[in-house]
Amino acid sequence: MMNKTTKWILWSVLLVFLIIYPLVFGIYYTNVFVTFAIAALYAVAIQMLLGFTGFLSFGHAMYFGVGAYGTAIALVHIKGLPLIVSVLFGFASALLLALVMAPLVVRLSVTAFAMIHMAFGMLAYTLALKLRNITGGEDGIGAFPIPPLRIPGVFSIDMTDPTNFYYFAMVILGVSIWILWFVTKTPFGCLMVGIRDNANRIDYLGFKLPQTKAVLYLLVGGFAGIAGSIFALFQNLISAMELYIMHSFIQIMQIMVGGIGSFFGPILGAGVFAVLEELTSRYTQRVELVIGLILILVIMYFPTGLIGMYHHFKTRFFTRQAD
Amino acid sequence: MDATTAMYVAQGLHGLAYGMILFLVASGLTLIFGMMGILTLAHAAFFMLSAYFSYQVMQMTQNFWLALLIAPVVAGIVGVLCERFLIRRVHVMGHIGELILTVGISLVILDAVKAIWSTDSLYVDIPECLQGLVSIVGMEYPIYRLFIIGLALLVLIFMALILYKTRLGMIVRAAVSDADMVNALGINVPLVFMLVFGVGTWMAGVAGVAIAPILTVFPGLADQMGMDAYIIVVVGGFGSLSGAFLVSIIFGLLSSYGVQFVSQLAPILMFIFMAIVLVIKPVGIFGERE
Repeated sequence: MMNKTTKWILWSVLLVFLIIYPLVFGIYYTNVFVTFAIAALYAVAIQMLLGFTGFLSFGHAMYFGVGAYGTAIALVHIKGLPLIVSVLFGFASALLLALVMAPLVVRLSVTAFAMIHMAFGMLAYTLALKLRNITGGEDGIGAFPIPPLRIPGVFSIDMTDPTNFYYFAMVILGVSIWILWFVTKTPFGCLMVGIRDNANRIDYLGFKLPQTKAVLYLLVGGFAGIAGSIFALFQNLISAMELYIMHSFIQIMQIMVGGIGSFFGPILGAGVFAVLEELTSRYTQRVELVIGLILILVIMYFPTGLIGMYHHFKTRFFTRQAD
Repeated sequence: MDATTAMYVAQGLHGLAYGMILFLVASGLTLIFGMMGILTLAHAAFFMLSAYFSYQVMQMTQNFWLALLIAPVVAGIVGVLCERFLIRRVHVMGHIGELILTVGISLVILDAVKAIWSTDSLYVDIPECLQGLVSIVGMEYPIYRLFIIGLALLVLIFMALILYKTRLGMIVRAAVSDADMVNALGINVPLVFMLVFGVGTWMAGVAGVAIAPILTVFPGLADQMGMDAYIIVVVGGFGSLSGAFLVSIIFGLLSSYGVQFVSQLAPILMFIFMAIVLVIKPVGIFGERE
């Protein structure tokens, strides 16, 4: 185990890296990093459901999308809305959707859970496509005003500047990821793992299964909504395409590539995907081919993902085993 | 017959034809996903691949019937190879592994198709004997769509006969309900499953060839159809052919009448239908197990 000093050093190195990153790498890579960070929060939230509690969802893009639309629509219709409140709008609208969905889904088995999410996810997608006067259809909602971050009379920071927005996004996303990490360390987090490993036993111990799942479900939906909200602010555009089912699958793939069941796996997976997309789109036209091949290779040869690979090699080369 | 009734009948026939195509794709998926429990998202990719093969055969021979014969078989062989060398190995990992693997396969197929045939829409001609209109109770209707309905019915009957009347069908059904037991009886279950996977892919291939002249052949062909077929299998109930048939027809009619009455909301009707069914009965209309 790492001792406290090394841990603090590592955290401060990470912090310094995040702070100087936009100064060193310029605007383009800053934006790439924000995209990655959004995907990371989204994947971490899904991982709470998939890796920790064992529920596969094929439709969580709807929470991402509803969060994004919530923020965008609030900014279009309410003049002078503060930035933080607009993010809270995204969070709240995703939470509201989760609140409506929770009673329907918490008692379902794993397969039915996945399928019903696919149904509602596609319903959300087609609704976003067809309710043109609210969501803008294929064109989506774009060019809405991005309010500056300000406390009246104290300071006001322009958020249309990429570097400023980078810091803002890092704080929001970082705090969100930290909250989710904290949740996994609480007794509630242990309960989640317990539900995954042996739901009956948790039930016999006297915990209320549906209610526990509902709380977790709200949490996951809400934080997916925050990721969506930041995405909408970052792109200054949200269209129905973000709700498409592929955007539910990509997160599952990132989790698999990173490592299922570990907290930092999805972040790693999101990073791998970001780098891959960056590299493949630069050197070849055939992005899908490369990603498809990598998915096939990963699942055939490293089904536990990168984190699993790390543990495999660690035990193989760096630990002594009694024969 | 007055114009309004004729329109209703025509829309009904359109819906029936589309429903039948859906059923061809969905019944293959019922075999693979519903019965064998292999979550494959590559099914629609094979459907699209077969449409491209049919275009290629048409280019070379100008013979639609030959295309109908060859293209689905080639697509089926590609499917069997994928099953034998890829999907089988990750089956033990459960649905997540299959999901990722088959998404990978369909991405590769999609990009390969784009590389070989470009992204343009390719046109496939309807064979001469199926061109033109036929008069049904005083109304003109394209022969080709009737041909599709007939073709799908033929495949359906053929499959039902094999599945419920032959020894092979009996083995398949037994292997689906208890693979270990059938294996212990000395039957090569993986081979049976490989065969079923091939037949399922072949059926999607037939649908691909049949729809090519109507919709033209383009890479996006897989998207819509794949999703619809999935929803049909889930709503109809896992492994239930009659469920898939019923829901395919309902979806076909929903989409054709939906376009007529509430054109804006037509695609939503299907998902609303699915959501309602699943909320009431999560295993689907005729589903008995998870």
